[in-house]
This record gives sequence, C-alpha cells and structure tokens, in this order.
Amino acid sequence: MLINVQNLVKRYGSLLALDHFDLQVSEGEIVGLLGPNGSGKTTAINCILSLLKYDKGTIEVFGKPMAPDAYELKRNIGIVMQNVAVFDELRVDENIDYFCGLYVRDPGTRRRLVEEAIDFVGLGEFRKFHPKKLSGGLLRRLNIACGIAHKPKLLILDEPTVAVDPQSRNSILEGIRELNREGTTVVYTSHYMEEVEQLCTRIVIMDKGKTLATGTNGELKSMINDGETISVELYVLQPEDLAQIRQLPHVTRAHYADNRLSVHYDGGQHNLLRLLDYLKSRELSFNRVFSEQPTLNDVFLEITGRQLRD
Amino acid sequence: MFMHVFSYRLKCLLRDRETVFWTLIFTLLLATLYYFAFGHLTGEQERFDPVRTAVVDSPAYRGDVRFQQVLASLSEPGENQLLELTVADEQQAERMLENGSVAGMITVGESIGLVVKQSGIEQSILKAILDEYAHTTKTVVGILAKNAGAAQQLISELGDRKGYTEQISFSDAVPDTILGFFYALIAMACMYSGFWGLRNAIDVQADLSARGARRSVAPIHKLGVVLADAAAALAVSFAEVLILIAYLAFVLRINFGNQIGYVLLTCFVGCIAGVSFGGFIGTVVRGNEGVKTGILIGASMTMSFLAGLMWVGIKDIIARKAPVLSYINPAALISDAFYSLYIFDSHRRFFVNIGMLCLISAIMCAASFMRLRRERYASV
Repeated sequence: MLINVQNLVKRYGSLLALDHFDLQVSEGEIVGLLGPNGSGKTTAINCILSLLKYDKGTIEVFGKPMAPDAYELKRNIGIVMQNVAVFDELRVDENIDYFCGLYVRDPGTRRRLVEEAIDFVGLGEFRKFHPKKLSGGLLRRLNIACGIAHKPKLLILDEPTVAVDPQSRNSILEGIRELNREGTTVVYTSHYMEEVEQLCTRIVIMDKGKTLATGTNGELKSMINDGETISVELYVLQPEDLAQIRQLPHVTRAHYADNRLSVHYDGGQHNLLRLLDYLKSRELSFNRVFSEQPTLNDVFLEITGRQLRD
Repeated sequence: MFMHVFSYRLKCLLRDRETVFWTLIFTLLLATLYYFAFGHLTGEQERFDPVRTAVVDSPAYRGDVRFQQVLASLSEPGENQLLELTVADEQQAERMLENGSVAGMITVGESIGLVVKQSGIEQSILKAILDEYAHTTKTVVGILAKNAGAAQQLISELGDRKGYTEQISFSDAVPDTILGFFYALIAMACMYSGFWGLRNAIDVQADLSARGARRSVAPIHKLGVVLADAAAALAVSFAEVLILIAYLAFVLRINFGNQIGYVLLTCFVGCIAGVSFGGFIGTVVRGNEGVKTGILIGASMTMSFLAGLMWVGIKDIIARKAPVLSYINPAALISDAFYSLYIFDSHRRFFVNIGMLCLISAIMCAASFMRLRRERYASV
C-alpha cells in the first residue's frame, strides 16, 4: 500500500473539512479523488503531504508514517499543485532544474532528468521562455514538469487542468497515463468527472470531507439503478403512445416535453432498436436520436441528491 | 544543496526588476535629487563675496587715519576679506550707488554715515561694521577721558581681542548637516533590503505561496533553504548599497571620511538588519503579501524619517524627547554609525551603533525562525 489514510479528521475552526476520511492507494493505480469544490480533496492531499495539521487519524506513505521531516519518503513523492508554483524570474528549463535539484543532487543526472521532463511535457521550443510568456496551458505543463522531473514513485496532482484549453488538457492526461505505464502511482484530484472517468483506474467520490463511494468507473455506475437514457426528437406523440412506450422492456420511466421524448432504462440490450421499431410501427416521424450512458454525475446525484457541479 | 538553492535564489532576486528598482534605482534617483536640492549649500555658492562699498573722498575722511586703517584691513584680499572698497568723490559714489555697482556709500563728516539704496544682507553687514566702529571709538574715548593712564594698555588690548568660547573639533572633519541627509538615505537603502527578506519569507511558507508549499514538500531541511535564501538576499542588498555608496562618493563627491573598512562594515550590518527586518515582517505579521508589503514600506519610511531622511532636525528632537528611539531604530543606528565615523576620531559610539544593529537583527531573526520552524500549517 503506497498511501494508507485512516480516520482522518481536519477542522478549520467550526468547519469540518475532513470527516473521518479514509483512503488507500495501491502501487500502480491511478486513483481519482472526485468531488465538488470544497469537498475536501485538496485538504486531504495537503494532510497527506504533511503540510497541514490535522485533528485525528493516521497517514502512512510507502508503509511508514508521514511526517514533515520524513525526507526519504518525500524524495519519492512528486506534487503538482493546484496553483502554479514556479518562479517568474526563472526560465522554463531553470524552473525545472531548480525543483529537480531539491531532490537530485548529481548535476549530470539532473541535466538528463530536466531534458526528459521538458520533452515529456512538450516544452522543448519554450525552454528559454519565462513563465509570464507562456499560455495558461503551457504554464500548467511547466507546473507538471516541475513536479515530475525527479521521477517520483508516487505522483499527486491537485486539479492540474484547471483553466486549461482542451488540447493541453488531453496532452496532460495522456502524459499522466504514460507516467503510470512507466510505473508511477498517481493520485489525481478533480471536479471534472469526464477527466476522472477517462483517466482513473479507481475513483473515490468525496463530499463534505467524507468518502461517499469507491470503485472503478463501472463499479460506481452499477451502484445506481439507472442504465442508459434514450432521447428522441419528434413533433407529435399521443398520450397512448407514451403509455405504450412505458410498457417496453426495461423502461423505468418516460416523458415527453418540448418535442423531446426521454426514455430511461434499468439495463437490457437492444433498447434503442426496440424503441425505434415502435415509433416506425406507429408511423411517427422523428429527427435526431441520442443515447446517453449514466455518468459519475448520475452516481453523485443518486448518492447526494445534488449535481456534482452544484 | 546550499549552493543550488543559493545560486537560483540569486538569479531570482537579480531578475526581479520591480524590487531592484525600489531597492537600487530609486535610492540612486533620490541621492541625485538630494544632491541638486542641497548641493548649493555646500558648493561654490557658499563662498562669501566681499561687500562692494564706496567711500566718499573728503577732507574729513582723509583726516581720519584710524578709520582709513580699519577699512583698509577689512578690504585686504584673502579668505577674510569683508569689503571691496572704492574711494570716489561724492557724485561718483552716488552714481555707483544708483546703478547698483556698490551696496552702500560711506560718508565721513562729524560722524560716520551710511547711505544705501535698499535693505539687504550686504547693507546690514555695512551697518554692523560702522556701528561696531562707532561703539568701539566711543568706548575708547570714554575710558581715556576717565583714565588717561590706561591708554597704553587699552591700545594693546584693542589689537588683541579675546574670544571666550572655543570651537572644538573631534576630528579633522568639518561638521556638515547636509551629510545627514545622505547618511539617512543610505540607512533607507539598507532598510529597503527588507523587500528581499520579505520575498524570502513569502517564498518559503506554504501558507503564503504555492512556491512555498512546493518547497515545503521537498526532501530538504527548511533551515537550509532559509539560510541559502537569506545569503542570496544579503549578497544582492549589500551589492546594491555598495553601488549607492560608490555613486555618492565618486559621482556626487560625498565625503565618507577615510575609514572605508568601517563604512563597508556599517553597510554590511545595515543590510543584515534590513533583510532580517523584511523576514520578520514576512513571518511574524499576519496578513497577505499586500498587507506585509505595505507594512514594510510604511515602517521603513517611518524609520528613515526618524533617522533624518526628510528633516535632519528630527534627530535632535528625538535625542531630547525620546532618546531610546535612536537605539531601537535600525535606520537611525545606521545613519548615526556613518555620522560618528565622520565626526569622531574614537570608534566607541560607532561600535555601540553596530552592536545595537547586530542585537536588533538577532532578535528579529530569532523571532522569524520561531515562526518559520513550524512544520505543519493550520491552513494552506
């Protein structure tokens, strides 16, 4: 077990930021901490890194108690902060070299690692730029390079894609996958469910400092009753047709409003075919058809009664 | 590791243009401004020009040999020349007075008279000379009327006037109040080193900056980072103050005496005090970076004001009303260390100032370290 957090409690005055929070991370995993803003993700990370005092609980990293002076443990941890943590006065290559140098003493090794980090995040042509000259996406890449240059065994990324353009976001996510393939265990916090769904091998859904659910993407979605939802644009639908549709196999509910028919299923196969066959048999003309699988937002909604982005 | 952190810190600080402006360029500009504002008080214009005077040539004047001798002695060329005398007939003297080529016209008759066209310093000097002559003449005549035997002694004492106060110099230097402004300016430059100390404090604390957080999770001892950062800040601020000193000494020709070693020591200890002060504000004062910067600027300027940056007279007021302030104000101690080097041959007062600066710096460093040594934060 690379990270083992048990029963962690952290208070900010009267606010309970972490409420008996547990987290276990095994080697080779990409664990996603998913939750809305203020759910306690960053607080949990800062406690794990020994930046924050906490009121109760135990934190072990690499099987040993984590402490501010646990330098041997820290040597194998990489951190990518939510806020970009670089020096504006240093160039891209100097920033990476500086932070890498806090972990790696040998100048030759450091030079090689810096070059690899620059290549990894694709900042080769910007290596002599100062951070203020970089776009938001490139700046985030630099922030990541500063956290990974020393090749940590455990990499913690706290919302690394906030305010990043889609192209840079995809590049960042692909880079994290590659690091994981090379053997780095990753803890990734985000409130973007799509990112967590795409990236993480295991997901921890958090809210109000508590762990609400843990599992793989499929395991979490199977926890809720909803299956796919099929939506059809059609101009006319008689109430008796709607009643018939509700009788189709696996339909849990169906409604028609604003020229749009929405049909929810609890599972089953060939649901779309069956629905379209019915509409054709009734000679109902329709336009576009959509099929949506349940999302982690549906899971969050089912558990908390709130949207993930509320 | 120390050299790695130190060298990059040095780069960061030297490339921080905004802070370099306030800690170096601003002080150079202020020095130049002071030079042009006060330079005329110490320059060529301070030299006294003799008062141009016309004496009306008349039988009475030619008959008053003593008065002629007095005027001749006051007109002798040299550093003490008081009058530039022209003997002319009455019409010519009046023309000279009219066209302004003389400040006054002296007439000798039954009594000695002065005719001026306007009032001013030169005219006042002429009047003071004639009043003094008339007063002395009257005194001598009165004494001789009462005691004719005292004539010999009186004549010898008239030529040998005694002063009953004595000006004492503690060194070869000439006291110069204008220097006080420049010393206070150097003190301000030293206190502005606090900007570097403040930046260090912010960049090392996880609850003040993301950089601080990233450095806090690195596998290095915090004290090592703090010392490397402080050494870089001290190097930059000392270099800046040396540039200021060189500018004052070699470009503006400000006299620092001939004790360059002590001058450098004062600058170095002053920079330590400045960096410590910035670190103290950055760690002990609660608030965000803006609040801390505001407090640093306000405190530095207040200390510099109390050290005589804007008005030298404030030092006298503090010496009389609240002397303790002079011993706890680092800017006043720096300024006074320079002044004591310039004025006194003894170094006692200088070392008292340096000692107090070291003590204050040590207290501020200790207080900062007590805050910095915390390993976990209540909030980040």
